[in-house]
Amino acid sequence: MARKLDISSLGKRFGALEALCGIDVEVERGEFICVVGPSGCGKTTLLRIVAGLEPATSGTILLDGKRVDGPGRNRGFVFQNDSLLPWRTVLANALIGPEVAGRVGAKERQRTLELLNLVGLGGFEHYYPRQLSGGMRQRVNLARALAIDPDVLLMDEPFAALDAQTREIMQSELLRIWEQGRKTVLFVTHQIDEAVFLADRVLVLARRPGRLQETVRIKLPRPRQLDVKRKPEFVDYVDHIWRLIEHDVRASVIDERQ
Amino acid sequence: MWGAVRRNYLAGTLSVIGGLVLWEVVSRYLIANALLLAAPSEILRAIYRLTLSGEMGRHVAVSSAEFAIGYAIASVIGIGLGFGMANSPTFRQALQPWISGLYATPTIALAPLFILWLGIGIWSKVLVVITLVLFPVTINTEAGLRHTSDRLIEMLRSFGANRRQIFVKVSLPSALPFILAGLKLGIGRGLIGVVVAELFGARAGLGELISASADSFNMPELFAAVVVLAVAGIAMTAAFTWLETKLVPWTKD
Repeated sequence: MARKLDISSLGKRFGALEALCGIDVEVERGEFICVVGPSGCGKTTLLRIVAGLEPATSGTILLDGKRVDGPGRNRGFVFQNDSLLPWRTVLANALIGPEVAGRVGAKERQRTLELLNLVGLGGFEHYYPRQLSGGMRQRVNLARALAIDPDVLLMDEPFAALDAQTREIMQSELLRIWEQGRKTVLFVTHQIDEAVFLADRVLVLARRPGRLQETVRIKLPRPRQLDVKRKPEFVDYVDHIWRLIEHDVRASVIDERQ
Repeated sequence: MWGAVRRNYLAGTLSVIGGLVLWEVVSRYLIANALLLAAPSEILRAIYRLTLSGEMGRHVAVSSAEFAIGYAIASVIGIGLGFGMANSPTFRQALQPWISGLYATPTIALAPLFILWLGIGIWSKVLVVITLVLFPVTINTEAGLRHTSDRLIEMLRSFGANRRQIFVKVSLPSALPFILAGLKLGIGRGLIGVVVAELFGARAGLGELISASADSFNMPELFAAVVVLAVAGIAMTAAFTWLETKLVPWTKD
């Protein structure tokens, strides 16, 4: 397998705060990577640097061997809050990527409609965001990122704001959609069970400074259904990762209280 | 739900009718002095009379022209200044004290001066309307453009959008509700400007009609002009509210 993404000795400072330091990650084509860690470990910052929304202080990121130094159409970003444009219909929102690239023809329209079907929004093309539930808005968010047919999908806690049941549904939906195209995915979450359920590998970050603590390879067979969450191996993975970050999580909770 | 809506309409309608009846009774039997107050029925007759003689039409035409020209010029300049201020911090810094200062100043007090400069024709009134409408439009346009959600800008940036695309696809639509609110605010201010400026000296217009009626103690005609102004204000504001539901429906939740 060809290496898709190569992150080497990546560091990021915000003034005196060292947000990330010495991050080395190699991602294979079609791999599903989840990033977990306590709040303040820099997981979202890592994702934003890969997206090109934030410059790195040190280190490099190579995507297909080419250096990343700004946003680009080879990466699709799925935001934590849906960031949909309230004055646009579902279809017009999903088409924003091709539109910015200056090509919205019948072909893009057709493809985007198929994507909306794929994410389960067939028939909702002409609805406005305010008419949709949180879960449906996140489906639009995902379709919008897929519409530019990116090489890498970057997802920033996209299900964090959803209620527990909707979140579970969205996790299995995401895997179903991912199985269709097997894009390379970098998925940030603070939910350990979500990370284990989705990922081929889970990157566990520690905080202060944000650094890579351990990489856990998840050897659960695919395609995965939600009932895999009840298997003992699954629970073992979750326990293992929880023990890795427990100390940091407690520390971050105390920090936030002060 | 519809029952509640109907009840609300009913309350409003009854309140207006009740008020008019009370007014009629008070002016006929309690005050009963045609020099101080006119009854609604007399006002209606006055409107009818003035309309038939063509006098009302002449006044309305002059006032409308003053309002429309001033309002249009102020809107164009105001939105333009707002754009300029949102796009250039230096320009904003330079203009901000003037805009804030003049917005708070009752510039209508300058009407006599404008009449001295431009004469008692329509252009002195146009200038008064401009000074009253310009500032809310400018301030709202600038604020609307500046308050574009960072999240939405970032989303567009993640797709590689340039500054112009961000402006057209996000800043402009999200500023539209603010711009419309500024324009709506301008309606009331503009109407006041027209009437008060005409009171200071004019050949025709609803303000002139009010002034002349007051001089001759013709209460029905004075109120006739006021009623026409009130109806114009209500109609324009209502039209604007309707326009908002059409243009920026996402703000109505």
